[in-house]
Amino acid sequence: MFLLLRDLRRARRDAALPRGPRGALQLRHVDAGSCNGCEHELGAASGPAYDLSRFGISITASPRHADVLLVTGPVTGGMRVALERAYEAMSEPRLVAALGDCALGCGPFRRSPEAAGRLEDVLPVDVRIAGCPPSPDAIAAGLIPLLDRRAGAG
Amino acid sequence: MPEVARAAGAARAGQAVVGPDLLRDEVAAVLASGGAVQALFAAAAGDGLEARYVCATPAGDLVLRCPAPRGEVPTIIDLAPHLAWDEREARDLFGLRFAGHEPHRPLVHHPGDLAAWATPVLGDDVHQVAVGPVHAGVIESGHFRFHTVGERIVHLDIQLFHKHRGLERVAEGGSAEEALATVGRACAACSVATGIAIAHAVEAARGLWPDDDLRRSRTLLAELERLYNHLHDIGAICAGVGLAPGAMAFAALKERAQRAIADLAGHRFMFGAVAAGAGAVAADRAAAGRARGALRELAPDVAAAWRSLLFDASLRDRARGAGALPADEARRLGTVGPAARATGVATDARERSPRLRYAGLRPAVPPGAEGDVAARMEARALELTDTLAMLDELLDGPVAPGHALPSAPPSAHGVGRAESPRGETVCAVELDGGAVRRVHLRTASFANWPAVARACRGAILPDFPLVNKSFELCYACVDR
Repeated sequence: MFLLLRDLRRARRDAALPRGPRGALQLRHVDAGSCNGCEHELGAASGPAYDLSRFGISITASPRHADVLLVTGPVTGGMRVALERAYEAMSEPRLVAALGDCALGCGPFRRSPEAAGRLEDVLPVDVRIAGCPPSPDAIAAGLIPLLDRRAGAG
Repeated sequence: MPEVARAAGAARAGQAVVGPDLLRDEVAAVLASGGAVQALFAAAAGDGLEARYVCATPAGDLVLRCPAPRGEVPTIIDLAPHLAWDEREARDLFGLRFAGHEPHRPLVHHPGDLAAWATPVLGDDVHQVAVGPVHAGVIESGHFRFHTVGERIVHLDIQLFHKHRGLERVAEGGSAEEALATVGRACAACSVATGIAIAHAVEAARGLWPDDDLRRSRTLLAELERLYNHLHDIGAICAGVGLAPGAMAFAALKERAQRAIADLAGHRFMFGAVAAGAGAVAADRAAAGRARGALRELAPDVAAAWRSLLFDASLRDRARGAGALPADEARRLGTVGPAARATGVATDARERSPRLRYAGLRPAVPPGAEGDVAARMEARALELTDTLAMLDELLDGPVAPGHALPSAPPSAHGVGRAESPRGETVCAVELDGGAVRRVHLRTASFANWPAVARACRGAILPDFPLVNKSFELCYACVDR
């Protein structure tokens, strides 16, 4: 297992992301009808190769502790109330990030009669991270600038 | 009541219409012949409804169509208990009633009244623990209602379909290619297997048979999907017990696999890599060689990481005996994939996949096959070895996309199958000229969720994440 550390170093170097602490950002993820692709990539972004936590960005278990609501999927009817409740549970200032093409309204499920079609029609969206699914690099690149923005807001 | 005709007994493959009065006899005949009813769904037919039964018989695929003149057909869940969710879904989505299936507990619809959908569990000290649909980690949305005494789980009601996107309805009316693009994307982690299942269904209906190149290119994609999923799933089990070194090691291995996959197939989840009627991925000798080289470097690291887990006492202690699913229960519930093989039920759709290239494949049944978390983990580790060996052979030279060629007269109905990383996925399509009139997808995850509820019965609540991770089912491809 420790042999893998070598590969980890290589993978991190390949990711070519900026380094250095700039504060912290707590994310609450809500899956509002994704295909699980965004979840896999969000997991990868938090995993060993990209390791978002080294930028101070981590997933929190409760919306009450969250700075950012990170939403995937086209907002299905079955998830709309739960999503709105998670948003209401957050304290201000709060940001909403649309993760992936479905949440942005341009994914493969945009024509579904069972979904709102895009997050923007349900909650105010501050950050848009495109991709189907967005790569871990794209997720990191979309979230890291929020560290500065949150400092400004606070 | 409309006139209905029974198919001649000799022509088992294809489709047959059977009246509600003879349905149960026909289903019993399929089961007695050694066949299986793999899925059940409702469809609009004329002014009324039909129940459709996707059967795998020794003579080939059979779609039984049973008209429901008063919106009702007899239930078959006493003959085939694993179809309980299918009947509940058909009732919720189409209003089709199943006489004898009482009480009907909604599956897709979510009534506010708990008594309407959850099992009544009575007795001293029974209490409920409700979890979800939003979970604490990065997890798909679904609601679990645990009935417990103390920490002990007596019963679990699983309420999924929070993510229902109506994919089958969205796909209907469009072309087969559009249907593949929509339904094939039910789930990212099984997108290749789902894509192959629907492609096979469309090609079966059109009377097409894949040439050698197409069989090889699709088999390659399916095994690449199995590779990154099994690496992910073993890591997820480690995360389920808080074993960070194992979780991180396998997450890193999965990342390496996905980078090799993106380099070869153009996408980390191989979206768009499966099409109907032809292959959609090609690789020249250099690209195939690059992927082969990356996987050859990966293989010893996978073996080393797995060996480390075998010697990790804390993981072994948690995994052994946890969430045991008995083999007879796996059979009764229609469990598929590594979860079934971990109980000793040697079923693997790859053995029955003449449209792919799996000659000589034997289902990987772990020794002991206790049906517990440890066995489900071991089933995947065994398959990783086989998959890496298969991939090494499949990448021995350039990859040509291939074509499906006419081999039989076209028909309206087609059935397709593929062994996803979670087990057998079945897709049925009904074509009307170039358009899809009805498409139904029954994924391995759909088949296996009832087994999760069964396996955690008697476990303690803190073991549920571990038991759940050991199945690692998708919600997206159940909810559709």
